[in-house]
Amino acid sequence: MRKFDLELTVGLFIIAGLICLGYLSVKLGKLEIVGERGYEVYALFSNSGGLKIGAPVVIAGVDVGRVKNISLDHYQARVVLNLPWSVKIQEDAIASVKTKGLVGEKYIEISPGGSENNIQPGARIRETQSPVDLEELISKFVFGKI
Amino acid sequence: MNLTYFRRGLVLLLLVFGIALPGWAGEPTDEIKQTTDKILSILTNPSLKGSSKTAEREKLIRQAIDERFDWEEMARRSLARYWDQRTDEEKKEFVRLYSDLLERTYMDKVEGYSGEKVTYEGESVDNGYAVVRVKIVTKKNTDIRVHYRLKRIENKWLVYDVSIEGVSLVNNYRTQFNSIILKSSYENLVKRLRERVEPE
Repeated sequence: MRKFDLELTVGLFIIAGLICLGYLSVKLGKLEIVGERGYEVYALFSNSGGLKIGAPVVIAGVDVGRVKNISLDHYQARVVLNLPWSVKIQEDAIASVKTKGLVGEKYIEISPGGSENNIQPGARIRETQSPVDLEELISKFVFGKI
Repeated sequence: MNLTYFRRGLVLLLLVFGIALPGWAGEPTDEIKQTTDKILSILTNPSLKGSSKTAEREKLIRQAIDERFDWEEMARRSLARYWDQRTDEEKKEFVRLYSDLLERTYMDKVEGYSGEKVTYEGESVDNGYAVVRVKIVTKKNTDIRVHYRLKRIENKWLVYDVSIEGVSLVNNYRTQFNSIILKSSYENLVKRLRERVEPE
């Protein structure tokens, strides 16, 4: 009888654990599903600076989309962004690779432009700014000042 | 007999296409070179040296830059979301203030030229837009990368953005203008620009 109680308890715990795991997966999985909606645009950077797939796309400090894919295209980084339909990007918007803090993760920041035309789904954000290599910049101008 | 006419026709055709085809290799670079060389010749002209000639020198430099930079396009891109809401007079005034601001900010740097070497690293042209990559070698032997972004307007290539070491000028002012307008107003931005540009 006691052995049965023990096994039952262990079994119940395992089931509870699996349910929690399942709930967590669905919750996280839901985030991924939301990312599938919306439209895609792409941008070419001379250097993606260690940007990762899944990195956030930010406008005015607000997370609006995700980096869907990064590939090499004629020796440039081709970064595909997923954006919600409600967010329109003007033709002269500038996409830059920025860093969270000074040495944190990389993300894409889009600075809205003033053109009346918007970038169509599948089209390219022409104006881009690759990450500024702070160390390189400092060394260029610090050591030059002697 | 037939062959001669054919050959002539072919040559004529090639000539026509040769002249009509825009953006042949080197055209945006050539136009940037023209302007840069013009400015360098003004800076190294012995008859224009000295502080007494500063006004004349700067006027000539400004003229050379006016020929190559599309101030309206740059001002529009820098003002971004707030450009559309402006009246035609406001737009005209803003373009004037913007170009004067840039002149005031960067003229000293141009005048501070002391023999730095300018090399043309290449260009890429795509559908009426071009990027010309330039390298400036300073006296301390550091390389400064300057990228000119040009747009083909009628039959000229005009600059609409300059990025130095990867930092875009338009983006820089866009961020600042946006911040000022959000914190105060467009009128306040204009007031601040006026103060910078017309200190009297």
